[in-house]
Amino acid sequence: MNIEQLLAQAEQLLAPWNKETIHPESNRLDVVIIADDLRAAVNALHDAHWGYLSAITGLDLGPASAQMEALYHFCSGLAITSLRVRLPHDNASLPSIADILPPASFFEREMQEMLGFKFSGLNISERLFLPDDWPEDVYPMRANFTLDQAAPVAGRHADELPEQGVVGGNTFVIPIGPQHPALKEPGHFEFTVDGEIVTAARMRLGYAHRGIEKAAESRNWIQNLYLFERVCGICSHTHALAYSLGVEKLAQVEAPPRAQAIRELVAGLERVHSHLLWLGVAAHEAGFDTLFMYSWRDRETVMNLLEQITGNRVNYSANLLGGVKCDIGPEQAKAIKEGLNYLETRIRHYLEVVTTDVMFLNRTRGIGTISYDEAVKFGLLGPTARASGLVRDVRVEAPYGAYTHFPVSAVTETNGDLEARCEVRLKELLVSCFTMRTIVDNLPEGPLTVRMPRKIPAGETVSRIEAPRGELFYFIKSNGGETPARVHIRTPSLCNWVSVLEKAVGRQLADIPMLIAGMDPCFSCNDRVVTLKRPGSNENWSWKQLREYGIEYYKR
Amino acid sequence: MNTFTSLITLLIFPAGLSLVLVGMFYEWVDRKLVARFQNRVGPRWFQPFADALKLFAKEQIRPAIVNPYLFFGLPVAALAGALTAALYVPLMGLSPASSFPGDLIVTIYLLSLPTMCVGLAGWNTSGRFSLIGATRTLTQLFAYEAPFLLAMLGPALVAGSWQINTINRFTQDHWLILTQPVGFIVALIGLMGKLELPPFDAPEAETEIVAGALTEYSGRGLAMFKISRSVELIIGLSLVSSFYLGGLNGIPSFLFKSLALLLVMSVLQVLLTRLRIDQTVGLWWRFGAILVLAQLLVMILWKGLAL
Repeated sequence: MNIEQLLAQAEQLLAPWNKETIHPESNRLDVVIIADDLRAAVNALHDAHWGYLSAITGLDLGPASAQMEALYHFCSGLAITSLRVRLPHDNASLPSIADILPPASFFEREMQEMLGFKFSGLNISERLFLPDDWPEDVYPMRANFTLDQAAPVAGRHADELPEQGVVGGNTFVIPIGPQHPALKEPGHFEFTVDGEIVTAARMRLGYAHRGIEKAAESRNWIQNLYLFERVCGICSHTHALAYSLGVEKLAQVEAPPRAQAIRELVAGLERVHSHLLWLGVAAHEAGFDTLFMYSWRDRETVMNLLEQITGNRVNYSANLLGGVKCDIGPEQAKAIKEGLNYLETRIRHYLEVVTTDVMFLNRTRGIGTISYDEAVKFGLLGPTARASGLVRDVRVEAPYGAYTHFPVSAVTETNGDLEARCEVRLKELLVSCFTMRTIVDNLPEGPLTVRMPRKIPAGETVSRIEAPRGELFYFIKSNGGETPARVHIRTPSLCNWVSVLEKAVGRQLADIPMLIAGMDPCFSCNDRVVTLKRPGSNENWSWKQLREYGIEYYKR
Repeated sequence: MNTFTSLITLLIFPAGLSLVLVGMFYEWVDRKLVARFQNRVGPRWFQPFADALKLFAKEQIRPAIVNPYLFFGLPVAALAGALTAALYVPLMGLSPASSFPGDLIVTIYLLSLPTMCVGLAGWNTSGRFSLIGATRTLTQLFAYEAPFLLAMLGPALVAGSWQINTINRFTQDHWLILTQPVGFIVALIGLMGKLELPPFDAPEAETEIVAGALTEYSGRGLAMFKISRSVELIIGLSLVSSFYLGGLNGIPSFLFKSLALLLVMSVLQVLLTRLRIDQTVGLWWRFGAILVLAQLLVMILWKGLAL
């Protein structure tokens, strides 16, 4: 089915509740409905298997209208259908759809904390992102939010962990994180174990919230490019790319073909670096440090390539609005090809190791198995979904940028266990290596950038790209000014958590680190949205102060 | 004069201080080998000494709810157990400081003392990671202990004695690794289990339970537990090489044989992925114990028929 047919089908499915139809872009359909019809409408799309729930965006339409809007984005290939529900500030109550679509629970919790939507039927009041001493009824993503509203509530701690210890008999609560050798990143998990068997799991995020979505609203379009690059240190390029593609779409500008190809090339190299990093971490969690050391050694090759192309190892800043910053000359092309040759042999070797090493298979084969149906139900994304046979790959389903010229094929496995996830990621790298070589050989000639206007025309756009961990979703709204009105980011990790929490129960404690690592969680992906006054410190740091502190710090 | 020599033997050489130093040296060899196999640089030669010195100089933090006598006593007991076991073993290839019929059994039980102490220490500190670690330590003890003991009994049976010194003299003419290969493998792997080396490091799997039973230990206590493990390493290597690798009859043969064993152990550590605790127990009882029992049975029958 092509885009028009898909959208027509969606429109027909939603017709009973449709109050108004908007076509913001050629591939999008917005259907305005009322809150009471939400569940029926979601059910209609769900029952007809029309796409999957990609994200829920909350918009504050400003103090003047005193209204908020919730956007439920369903994606099927290139087509996107959004259900729009408009609600007043003081009664932003929606029915929860988490029982129909489990990943919605995380989206709803985010909206509940950040924008003050109320979800009837969600029944989770504990905080996921905001600290526990954050005042009630203060929502950081509301338009009228100011920092002095965020004074911590006296007598509460930022992290009110229920320190239960021994629950009774053989039952303990094992805390993993925010500081724990298994997770070098700040997430908190509590696994209730009976002996060695996990009987319950809960999690908590937000230990490193940096308020990026909010900060974006006060920076201009170009500054934001560098801000979003810092959402994640591993897939920095994909964030900048998703943002640039979105803004270019709004400005109706297209980056030149050479720039598009270089973007795909850098994204490919980034995928290699990210997956090799993941392989190392997964091996370490399983207690196979040798594989960890070797894969990280080989990862240096791709890091050096990225440095050679862009000048940086982590935040490459390869993107500009309307193009790229760096060119691929003959020297870089040669280095890339040599690097890819080496990496390919190594990746083949690792593929052999993860599929034949008996001791490693002991820890991966048949563990954390997610069936195809469960993958659909949990709304999994990226390699985690593909390991269960579910093709969720934006590069294939909805090609963007240069992926129409240099296509990739989706790699899938059917077993859905940790072994399959290792295999999918490594095989995917071989595909990436092949495509990258094609790009280097057939790099289109032409300029690297086109001119971008300083003010972006008013409008809304959705930009989806495939990050190493899965679909990355950007919703960008412009009011026609020099700064965006709202940027909503939905990262792949957020969608994949459900599967970990569901699958942990009944497993051995020893499998848990592998289970968590198996979906390649990225905590910086999850943590974006808050600045806060800490207890014991009376100041909020302004941007200027932070900048000066940074300069002072690095002088030493 | 006799007391003086005994004191030297006990405190300086070959037991006591020099044993501790050699233990740390072997620990360094192990760490360095593993690091080089894993493509890392690895520690410098004095790293274990520096670690121990640093730990001894540091404050030992006691959790509020522990029993202080146990908390401070257990590391001492562990180290004492390991050092006492050293008296009956042909350390550095020299004849044991003390010897009596049946000292093999005593030594093996003394060698279990440090592990028991670690388990108790984990139970005493009653932190969550410590408790799980202690459970796993003790579970693992029950898994490898019997097969390891049986693997040690094989040489004792053919030598016709339960005295380490006698067995050592007997094996100098008999390379039992050739006639009892199963026993040798079980003994070597059992030693790795005893020392909680990978792949048997589930009791201290850092990605799950931080440092296991010893999570709450710091300073002197931790140093003593670590040293007792180094001492155990030396004793274990001495026992296995003396029983299976043609005996020990001098410092060169000790160095050569034990370092060769250590090399094999390092390679195994590098190659193998950590086993879950249920997999460890399964491995020992489904394979280790059965194989070594079968070998013992064959030997008993052989001996019975030959007589």
